[in-house]
Amino acid sequence: MGINLSKRLPAIAAGAALSILAGSAMTLAANITRDTSRQAFDTAISGKKVAWVPLWMGVLESEWTGIMKDQFGQYGISLVTRDPNFNNDAQLQAVSQLIDEKPDVLIVQNNSTTLLAKELKRASDAGIYVVQMNMASNYVGDAYVGVDYTQAGHQVADELIKQCGGGKTSGEVALILGEATAAPSIEGLKAITDGLKKDPTVKIVSSQPGDWDANKANQIATTVLQQYPKLCAIHGFWGPMAAGAAQAVKNAGRQGDVKVFAISDGQMGDCDLVEQGLFTKALSNRADVQGITLVNAVLSLLQGKDKPGDKHLFYFTNNYWIESAKDRGYCYKVDKAK
Amino acid sequence: MGARQTLGAVTDSDSSKAKRATARGRLLPANQEFAVFATVAVCFVAMALTMPSFLTLGNMFALTRGISVLGILALGMGIVVIARGIDLSQVAVLASTCGITVVLLNNGIPAPVALGAGLFIAIGIGCLNGLLIAFVEIPALFATLATGLLTLGATRALVLPQLIVYLGPENAWLQQFGGNLSIGLPIPVIVFAVVALVMHVFLVHTVLGRSIYAQGDNPETAWLTGMPVRPMIVTEYALSSAIGYIGGLVMVASTSLMHLQIADSSLIFDVILVVVLGGISLTGGRGGVSSVIAGTLLIGILLNGMTLLNLDTQTQNIIRGAVLLAAIVVDSLLHPHDEETSKQGL
Repeated sequence: MGINLSKRLPAIAAGAALSILAGSAMTLAANITRDTSRQAFDTAISGKKVAWVPLWMGVLESEWTGIMKDQFGQYGISLVTRDPNFNNDAQLQAVSQLIDEKPDVLIVQNNSTTLLAKELKRASDAGIYVVQMNMASNYVGDAYVGVDYTQAGHQVADELIKQCGGGKTSGEVALILGEATAAPSIEGLKAITDGLKKDPTVKIVSSQPGDWDANKANQIATTVLQQYPKLCAIHGFWGPMAAGAAQAVKNAGRQGDVKVFAISDGQMGDCDLVEQGLFTKALSNRADVQGITLVNAVLSLLQGKDKPGDKHLFYFTNNYWIESAKDRGYCYKVDKAK
Repeated sequence: MGARQTLGAVTDSDSSKAKRATARGRLLPANQEFAVFATVAVCFVAMALTMPSFLTLGNMFALTRGISVLGILALGMGIVVIARGIDLSQVAVLASTCGITVVLLNNGIPAPVALGAGLFIAIGIGCLNGLLIAFVEIPALFATLATGLLTLGATRALVLPQLIVYLGPENAWLQQFGGNLSIGLPIPVIVFAVVALVMHVFLVHTVLGRSIYAQGDNPETAWLTGMPVRPMIVTEYALSSAIGYIGGLVMVASTSLMHLQIADSSLIFDVILVVVLGGISLTGGRGGVSSVIAGTLLIGILLNGMTLLNLDTQTQNIIRGAVLLAAIVVDSLLHPHDEETSKQGL
């Protein structure tokens, strides 16, 4: 927790700075002095209601939810969470119902780019700020917080070129995607393919959907390892799924010889696997920082004078490579107390 | 089998239908395993001729490793389906119980206790399934769907709120069951073979095993001839859960983690597909271990071939759907709907 907090401090400080900036802007507008700034802040945000519909309550979503509960709780904002447990119909229904309950802010994590688009527009028309978390919809809301999968894909491509390119290896790379239709799979695959054009010696020999499942990734990797005896690297689109592929590399006795990469949210398992040598490197999305950023996005919207739908703000979060035990701070542990 | 089918056709009042059924009997082999094994052989030869990387010892090991967990689960499901039941809770139960086992191991609980506790809970839920179906007389479909959800919900609420648990490095010994022997033979395949052998002996050479076929064939007659049908149902579901638990442990050993999400995946339908594909008809009393092996091999060859060819998802779905459809058509040709097969349940 100590490490986590120190990693979080800059983000919290940035958030505070943002709030102060917002506060000073309001000073000009409404003659708020430093003495009355907290009062103005509280007037703007306390008693507000935030509704949150994740895909489900996995590790990543629990981390975000924990941070929101803690922060919003301290600010006097109420948080309503609906867990649709990865069911599209349930998610759509939850969002529809929440719009009728008229929260001030609606936060959603989209499983597809189309599913919630209509309802999110309806929310905006009903005067609700729409915030999208990590997975975007075709409807651009008031704020998007999360990974830029194109940027992340290019980061991965650069690393693959560094490790496998320049003709020093076979240059054969296998990708294990998530669910084939999910935005991170589509955008990530496109970005990695584009990024690899920089070095024609690196080629994607296999790209198969692992459906976020470690067992499927394990089977695919086992087959691909047989098919390509000189394979240079396997890259998985999510840590816990890539863990299955890493075990396949270990079982085939090719640990170290075949490099294993993963892009992931930065849960403890990602750091553990790097330290155990099962992952060569993992690109962490820093879900802990994302959680704080999400809170700040909501605070900005509530304090601003814009009407829902007026502005489109983007809070792209940065990714960090986990390479060794010293990078443990890029991983988060869900705090059960929150 | 052929005789039984003719008998079913004769009792049918429509004589032209009866003629068609006998014609079918002559044209098609009465044995569905044979048809599936033939398909497997055709696929195998086709892939060996077109893909140089297919027919290598290494790829054969990869292929069989990939299907061993599915095969183990299908053996458990097979018992229940032979007895005219279905166990939709199998994957949810194995995910929960193996998850609990890994949590116990990571907390330093001695291995025999942790493994025993998982097995105990699995058998307990299997027995609950059996009791609900045999004594409360709830249809298997609903009883097992409910217990699966209940188990998963309770595990999430009490033990694994975040759905994923990694096997700690101090418990790496368990991973050996997911490894290979020195000659490259995957240990999961050996586990599958052992479970299959034990299952075969049980179903064919024990009184209880033979009785399960009798029950699946005609539960009323089985009961009238003095078989303890209700306790048998409890035993069948307990076995399905226990075998599921073994499959789950192999999963943990192969991937070093347990992710409760598999309970929401299509795995349970893949298991049922393998069982039905191989010739353990949903109408009960038919098929055996060889059916499970045939079904598992066909799915294994398809998955392996599609990965080797690096096919995209849409094409993979078309192929998978076509195979399922073909299996259903063959099943309905071999087991036409008549008075015999229209009877369901106890």
